Amino acid sequence: MTGQMTGTPQAMTAERMTAAHIQGEVAEIRAIYDLLYPDQNLTYLFRAGKDAIWGAPEVTHGPHTFRPGEVSANYMGMLRRPGLHPAAAEVTVDVAIPRRPLPHETTEAEAPWRGIRPLRPLQRVSPLAYEQIRYLAEMIRKKRAHRHSTQALPLGEGAASFPRPAEPASDKRPAVLIGMHWLEHGGAEKLAFDCVNWALESGLRVFVVAGVASVQRLAGRLPDHPDLRLIRLDRYLPYELWPRYVEQLVRSENIRLVHIHHCRQLYDSLPHLRISTPWVRVIDSTHIVEYADGGYPRISGVWSEFIDLHHVISGELVDYFRDTFHLLGKVRLGRMLDRAAEPRSLPPVRMQPGQKQLHVAFVGRLFYQKRPIVAAETVAALANWARNNGVAFRASMVGEGPFLGAMRHLLQRRGLAEQVALLPANTDVPALLRQADVMILPSNNEGLALVCYEAIEQGCIPISTDVGSQDEVVPADLLVPLAPRKTVQATVAAVDDLWRDPAFNERQQAEMRRLWTRLGEDPTARELLSQVYRRVAAGGAGFEGDGFDKDIQA
Amino acid sequence: MTALTKTAAVIVTFNRSGKLMNVLDALAGQTWRPDIVLVVDNASTDDTQALVEARGKTDPSLRYLKLPVNIGGAGGFHAGLKAAYGMGAHYFWISDDDAYPQPDAIEKLVRAIQQFEADNTWRPSFAASRVEWIDGTLCEMNTPRTVWDWPRFVRPDAAWALVDSASFVSILVPRWAVEAHGLPIPDYFIWFDDAEYTRRLSRSYPGIFVPESRVVHDTPDNRGVNFGLIDAKSLWKFRYGARNEASWRRREGGWPSLISYAFGVRQQMVRGNVPGKYRREIYRAILRGATFRPRIEQVKAD
Repeated sequence: MTGQMTGTPQAMTAERMTAAHIQGEVAEIRAIYDLLYPDQNLTYLFRAGKDAIWGAPEVTHGPHTFRPGEVSANYMGMLRRPGLHPAAAEVTVDVAIPRRPLPHETTEAEAPWRGIRPLRPLQRVSPLAYEQIRYLAEMIRKKRAHRHSTQALPLGEGAASFPRPAEPASDKRPAVLIGMHWLEHGGAEKLAFDCVNWALESGLRVFVVAGVASVQRLAGRLPDHPDLRLIRLDRYLPYELWPRYVEQLVRSENIRLVHIHHCRQLYDSLPHLRISTPWVRVIDSTHIVEYADGGYPRISGVWSEFIDLHHVISGELVDYFRDTFHLLGKVRLGRMLDRAAEPRSLPPVRMQPGQKQLHVAFVGRLFYQKRPIVAAETVAALANWARNNGVAFRASMVGEGPFLGAMRHLLQRRGLAEQVALLPANTDVPALLRQADVMILPSNNEGLALVCYEAIEQGCIPISTDVGSQDEVVPADLLVPLAPRKTVQATVAAVDDLWRDPAFNERQQAEMRRLWTRLGEDPTARELLSQVYRRVAAGGAGFEGDGFDKDIQA
Repeated sequence: MTALTKTAAVIVTFNRSGKLMNVLDALAGQTWRPDIVLVVDNASTDDTQALVEARGKTDPSLRYLKLPVNIGGAGGFHAGLKAAYGMGAHYFWISDDDAYPQPDAIEKLVRAIQQFEADNTWRPSFAASRVEWIDGTLCEMNTPRTVWDWPRFVRPDAAWALVDSASFVSILVPRWAVEAHGLPIPDYFIWFDDAEYTRRLSRSYPGIFVPESRVVHDTPDNRGVNFGLIDAKSLWKFRYGARNEASWRRREGGWPSLISYAFGVRQQMVRGNVPGKYRREIYRAILRGATFRPRIEQVKAD
């Protein structure tokens, strides 16, 4: 026997697993290209992928001739799908089937963080000095952000003398296409997952795509629902073919609404979509204005002529769209909050002046955005403060990510391994916040951090950097500067004031109550978007006509 | 785990045509017959070439790579693996010209490496057979080195211990590992080339020891690698071994590791009552190893 297993049961298990993996991926690939090229003679060339992520697809038009590189060691096989007739155009899809992910690839999306090489000695000596340099680099990027266009792209309406594409008749129920950045952890991703559920609840069929190729570790979190389908365009479709694929999907699946959550390919598909399927409505959701280039809100603004409704999660973004892109009516605020069934009241805050213990919490994904190193240094400074004032200190830091190792190392170096508990991302955060006195959030940037809202609800005082829309949820006296050293110093000073000054403490409580109440009066994302989804499911445009805003307010 | 299983056997030989024919016989009788059997001839002066050519007339899987000069086992395995990689194999079975695999030895290795991956998701970077001496006892010089958590995936029906070092006597290396870590170091000439290579492969993930895959190593005697066993006949090999391992120690662990190694070698030689003139040769070899930085050649990925 050459190159084959004898058929023992054990060997068959491995073979079956391999075969199932390949068949599943081939079916996924074929579903994409059979839809994209319904008439052509299709030839699929399959290769074994080197990684677990990217299919490296290449599509060529015209008759195909095999070249040496195409039949190298990774060549797996070929499939042909005849076109509508023998003379149909030929298209060849050359694609790799990614291998199954290794265990560490399914638990960690990114490698452990290390400082950039030239600055590693400095990082070892003074982590905060390293953070200061990185902060300065961020600020330089912010100053240069104006280089990126903030001019909305025009959308020509066309002349009435030319026919517009007709909407095809469909016997399928209306559907929504939800474009995510990726299916990983994150605030924007959480909203996108919620949107999938809300759309299904509203009676829509749902198609999900992601713009960034990855293991998509949270794909299993999508509901197991017959009306839901995840299409792996991120893995198998070249960037330039997205617009045509989306058009075909819209036509074949009766997609009435495209909802973009940080998905660059869908933004770039908008010109094609607007002209070829003008009946489709487009909305997007944005969260945070990035320093370097404005991030997705800027992209959204640039595409605003092609988008029917911009959903934003904070007042800062409402202002941003108004001030930068002059948009008013089609920018809608929908907070990422749950509306309580019953009116709620806030519990008293736990931190009292002169108390003899201090429990500090930190909750956040351990990526640079949350500045875990600054958080660890803040915890160390608070531990010092507590020691000097005879206060028993402990801290709980929740989160996972590439900074975990560096943060743990720093805490050990500061002698805090016993006082600081590092907790996994699935920790019961409300329960933790019910026990904590203050929660620190020294982020580099935020939209509006929900965890601050949760902290207030649990009687825990949030202290945050003054970034994004944090001033909508955190009292002004508890907002600290962004520069790392000042973040640490001001956080300690704020805790000191809360501990020493009963009047200050009382003032913050009152302000927290006011902000919390005000936030609760705004429409939630669920209210706004479910309304859109329900109207689309009922055959409407989603957000035009009388009563839309009234319904949301109600 | 891959559906691609083209397998190449790489055998390095030098002036042992009789034993080599036994190896080729054993390969011909394998239940998992390699698609390619590549004989790397280290410039043999006996009838090796004639015998292999005669055999090749009836065995299309047989390939012959004649090296112009004897560049040692290390150079032979380097050249052989490089050539087999170029032939597009997905698994490389690497072995000596005096090691006879049992009929199912290669199949057991392939099966183990694939099943391990199916069961545990991790990809072993190599799979090593149990190497026995001609009397059926464990061959001392081919004992793999286990990692600290070697029993992590050991089960009664799959007793595959994790190892990070094995010899070039019946090991199976997947193509991805060669792509990731390159080829064996030819400049080692002989000894420690296999240990260095398998330890290098293990940076991705350890290999597995597959006891049900058995091979008989037909060596004159069954001795391990111990510097207390140095004699006039074996001194030259020990010198290479000392230089090569010293070089590796310096590369991987710096001076502390090198000094620790030199101390360990000294202890073995003292216990073995090795004559002073041999000891001095070994110390000189270790010193040479401290500055010996051979290049690691990478392969061109597909």
